[in-house]
Amino acid sequence: MSATCRVRIDDHAIEVPAGTLVTDAARMAETHIPIFCSHQKLPPLGACRICVVEIGTPKRERDGKPVLGPDGEPVIAWMPKPQTACTTTVSDGMVVATRSPGAVKARQGVMEFLLVNHPLDCPVCDEGGECQLQDLAFAFGHDFSRMDEAKRTFVSEDLGPVVKKEANRCIVCMRCVRYCDEIMGDDALTAHQRGVHTEISSFDRQPLECEQCGNCIEVCPVGALTALPYRFKARPWDLRQHVTICPSCSNGCSVRLGVRGMEILRARGTEHRGVNQEYLCVHGRFGYEFVQSAERLSAPLVRAGGALAPASFDEAVALAATHLRAIAGAHGPGAIAFLGGETLNLEEQYLLQKLARAVLGTPHVDARTRFTAKVPGAALLRATGGGRPLVSFDEARGAREALVLFDDLQGESPFAQAVLIQGQHQRGLHLTVAHARRVKLARPKFGGDWLAVKPGGELALLHGLTRAALEAGGPEAPPPELAAARPALEASLAPWTAEAVERASGVSYAAIRAAAARLRSAQRKLVLFGRAVAEHPQAVALLQAIEHLGWVTGALTAERSFVMYLGPRNNSQGALDMGLTPDCLPGYVPVADAARRKPFEQQWGAALAPAPGMTAPEILAAAADGRVRALWIAGDDWLRSAPDRALAMRALETADLVIVSDLFLTETAKHAHVVFPASAFAEKEGVVVNCERRLQRSARALSPRRGSRPDWEIIQSVARALGAAWSYRTVEDVYREIARLTPGYQGTSYATLLPLGPQWSSPGAPAVAAALTPVAAPGAPAGRADGLSLLSGATLFLNDTVADRGTLLPKLAKAARAFLHPAEARSLGLGEGDRVELAGPGGRIELPVAIDDAVPEGSVFVPHAHPGVQLNRLGAPQGAGLRVAARRSGVAEKVGA
Amino acid sequence: MSRGPLLFKDIDTPGLAALETYRAGGGYETLAEALGKRSPDECIEIVKASGLRGRGGAGFPTGLKWSFVPKQTTKPKYLVCNADESEPGTFKDRELMEKNPHLLIEGIILSAWAIQANTGYIYLRGEFDYIQRILDRAIADARTAGLIGANVLGTAFRFERYTHLGAGAYICGEETALLSSLEGYRGQPRLKPPFPAVEGLYACPTVVNNTETLMNVPHILKHGAAWYRQWGTEKSAGTKILSVSGRVKRPGNYEVPLGLPLSTLLDEHCGGMRDGLAIKAVIPGGSSVPPLPASMLSTGLDYESMNAAGTFLGSGGVIVIDDQTCLVDALWNITRFYEHESCGKCTPCREGTYWMSEVLERLEHGHGRESDIGLLEDVADNILGKSFCALGDAAAMPVQGFIQHFRAEFEYHVAHRRCMVNRRSAEIESRWGEAVRA
Repeated sequence: MSATCRVRIDDHAIEVPAGTLVTDAARMAETHIPIFCSHQKLPPLGACRICVVEIGTPKRERDGKPVLGPDGEPVIAWMPKPQTACTTTVSDGMVVATRSPGAVKARQGVMEFLLVNHPLDCPVCDEGGECQLQDLAFAFGHDFSRMDEAKRTFVSEDLGPVVKKEANRCIVCMRCVRYCDEIMGDDALTAHQRGVHTEISSFDRQPLECEQCGNCIEVCPVGALTALPYRFKARPWDLRQHVTICPSCSNGCSVRLGVRGMEILRARGTEHRGVNQEYLCVHGRFGYEFVQSAERLSAPLVRAGGALAPASFDEAVALAATHLRAIAGAHGPGAIAFLGGETLNLEEQYLLQKLARAVLGTPHVDARTRFTAKVPGAALLRATGGGRPLVSFDEARGAREALVLFDDLQGESPFAQAVLIQGQHQRGLHLTVAHARRVKLARPKFGGDWLAVKPGGELALLHGLTRAALEAGGPEAPPPELAAARPALEASLAPWTAEAVERASGVSYAAIRAAAARLRSAQRKLVLFGRAVAEHPQAVALLQAIEHLGWVTGALTAERSFVMYLGPRNNSQGALDMGLTPDCLPGYVPVADAARRKPFEQQWGAALAPAPGMTAPEILAAAADGRVRALWIAGDDWLRSAPDRALAMRALETADLVIVSDLFLTETAKHAHVVFPASAFAEKEGVVVNCERRLQRSARALSPRRGSRPDWEIIQSVARALGAAWSYRTVEDVYREIARLTPGYQGTSYATLLPLGPQWSSPGAPAVAAALTPVAAPGAPAGRADGLSLLSGATLFLNDTVADRGTLLPKLAKAARAFLHPAEARSLGLGEGDRVELAGPGGRIELPVAIDDAVPEGSVFVPHAHPGVQLNRLGAPQGAGLRVAARRSGVAEKVGA
Repeated sequence: MSRGPLLFKDIDTPGLAALETYRAGGGYETLAEALGKRSPDECIEIVKASGLRGRGGAGFPTGLKWSFVPKQTTKPKYLVCNADESEPGTFKDRELMEKNPHLLIEGIILSAWAIQANTGYIYLRGEFDYIQRILDRAIADARTAGLIGANVLGTAFRFERYTHLGAGAYICGEETALLSSLEGYRGQPRLKPPFPAVEGLYACPTVVNNTETLMNVPHILKHGAAWYRQWGTEKSAGTKILSVSGRVKRPGNYEVPLGLPLSTLLDEHCGGMRDGLAIKAVIPGGSSVPPLPASMLSTGLDYESMNAAGTFLGSGGVIVIDDQTCLVDALWNITRFYEHESCGKCTPCREGTYWMSEVLERLEHGHGRESDIGLLEDVADNILGKSFCALGDAAAMPVQGFIQHFRAEFEYHVAHRRCMVNRRSAEIESRWGEAVRA
């Protein structure tokens, strides 16, 4: 069988790969075949029948040769019945007729059937104007109706807070049901009854218990499922549509904002566009509300007489510049530190560190404010194999094995989770999830393996996996340097015996061995990790261990396999790339490397300090001590993000100058001396780098909120006030400079960085031998520790972004609670709703209790992102993690009884 | 008196459902012979040569179906007996299973041997719970006798079988919907290809055969293909059980050689019509097929002759419609059935059956319009061949057939606002009244 088939679709002759569906071939031939039930992410169903076409194949002799007619053309044997184009694969010589009388009659017939029970309420239907049924009725339907019987009717339902169901409009294409099951893994929707009475609803007809992602609304081709927040707000033709990049997490989904006037009315995905296409999570679809919050800052604020007062932009800039210059003069540039910036666009990040390094001359720049360990800037890149090309999410679906390390993707990276679920459901991807809690991906439904790692046992688990992979033979085809470095690594792993690993990680060595064997033998494999590793006190050792695991299992060497870092913020990757780390310049150029530093010095016209600056935790300590006198905090609520709130508070109170740029008057901003009102993601242009290291340009959908400015303008204004000769007119000017200087970015052009832009990779991957440094021996087994291990992380509806400034997501997230295993709660004498007091080394917090058997005994899970929860009051985690003492709160919640 | 040459030959033997009685009549001898000395391929060849065709309605050659099962596969294979007998007018499998369960079990084991399946399922329609008890009893007896289990009759062949009761959906008689239902999912047909022989139950190779088909297998393997071909025609070999209903003198199941003229069946076997009634139409193969008018009763009861006459032998449910029955009413009844049983998966069947049923209801109650007849024909044409599975066709064909042969009666209904045969008008009016009140 040949690899391609020649097909004729109406008048278009086209050659397509064998196995192509007729609908796809038609799209390539630019012939429109309508579809409803078929969807690019779902297998063919063939139910709606609107795609019926007439199909013929060459008539063949017994020997297989085509029969030729008198004109020398092959004689076509037409199939007796019309066929569904969405389920038929092409064959060589196939002829497809979409406009023949038979095909037209069949299609018109189906169109008429679809309208038999469909109400004619288009004028009041939110889908009207972008409804596929409406479009196709216009294109293929009659201009009159022969159906004048009574239509069957249903009662409309609200399926929870985001989904409105008008079942009368439903055409039973089953897209919503299948999408919910196969892509979201939620299985929240089903079809009730049968025949013409088929009705989509939740199983128990109660509000949907699901991720509230609204993808069912997105894939609904008609107005049967519509979004409650958007209900009756606008007609689609009144909206300007702008595709921008979602600011919610590191996945970099394209989100199409529907804007009317100065207001965002909705957000949607877009088929065949972006990494996510039609997919959006609840944050992407409903999390834009913060942009139009009334609490947004509308003017710069400066501290005057102890209170913040509005000022003009020029005043604020002048004040900031004067103070910065004064402090640099009095205490040296090293007394100034720059924090935050993970949510800024790439160009802004670049300018921020340029302002620090070139204009002010301070090396203390770090975006990673949540980190608790001193992590080298290149360590995260190294753990993912240096600049090794990353496989796209699209291809990740086809992998055989995925290892998810310590993060709950539902909260941190919803799209990555959907990719894994789809891969598992449709392509046989096997999941191994290492997490202390039974998170969504670890549910039995997904048929994977759950390594229930003990809190604090992460490092032991990774060493165990590496050890087991080496025992199984190590990498399939090791690079020579690896073979050389292997004995030393094996020797250093020797103290990590099976027993030691089991004891420390809480996972049986048999399970670890099986997981390592799966990862090692799978042809295509993925390892995903995120903030649980990066923000861990043992982050440096964990990253090294992940690197080891990547090399010895082949995840860093095998074709189309990867180790991926899911950063905590939308542009965490960009912050690393742009050198918002104290030891690296943009492109991971070490500041200590004089030769590679040179181009930057030339471009920037300044001599750069060869010594690395302080990391975020060091800056925190130094600022609290008074060694750092001035802080510039960009788009980061440091009082929430710093690992130790008390220290951060002391630092803010001690500092001579605190400059904050943010959308809101955050707690941190309240302690600032100068506050710049920044523009939101939808109000500015710029490049964002997602966790695939994909460069995507985020478009501007709105004018900046009155009074606010994009961070790059703020930074440039201050730089100019400080005497720098910066003259960037647009972000593109900045990007051009980045592309010229930054290894890995060279050759990229701003104009081409649309959604689904290129993924950068570095030709010079780091040497393998350097990667396989020996590991430290396990510490002495700790005695029975007191208290509970504190587990934290993002949850579905709150992930510690500005999204919690909206209304819907906090409502969905419900009140903050501390989750305890039933047995643990019982031993503490606590019941659901009782208040528990958690005490750490730094302080205490109090929360209501929720009983949850997904939380292991001996630990307490507190989602960190609730606005009311100040987890860092407990103090910074040390060693293997934070331990807290829990006791029933003294305050009686219920009086009486 | 014997009621038929093959399956019905001994059907009325008292106590036939008991293992001893069945064995006394030579039961399970074929199984012992086949498992001992016939290769699976040989069995398939014999069945192929016999010309046995599926008795459930489609008439697909059984041996050919078996030969589609991949020989080299690591997956388990399954044999599923379709005993969902739910085609209106068909009641043959019920009697067969009720009276002679062991013949079915023997047939299933032999067929399983032929396709090398180690597990079999009997999918029974929901109302057949009493037959499930009979079958379970027979299966238990067979297991005790070593006919089912790890070593069938002491050979290395392992065979287990289970009965499963449906939940009351007509669509589950469609083989892929049956498999979905058996797996515990919503009973809806699946996309073909892949055909069940390649990817059926639990995505493993599966053969789904009708009860009557499977019961023919022991006879064929016992006596050979040539012997079996003594009945029937060249292309429709063997016998067929026809379930005759309607106002004939002796309704019931009759086993006749294929090719027997329909009139012979009705006049000789069933004793003609009752009470001086005359035949108006005969639906020869269950409610899904177009009717034959009285003028075409000489048509032979075999697959080819029926096709030539514009209808199908189907499941062999012969429904005799007498001259006192209003055909509009009859057609409304049939269409309502399909509206009720449409699974809702595909648009033409889901919406079309509803629409036709609504139009027929109006027509039957005297509110028809002249254009309705053409509308019905066109709607039926828009369903026919465009639906996902055969249920849509089954709903469309009777509409087309009734109008084709009896257009005058429909026109009369429109013109006179009542039935041409007004025998049941009072009853209809009261029902209409109820419908209006409801």
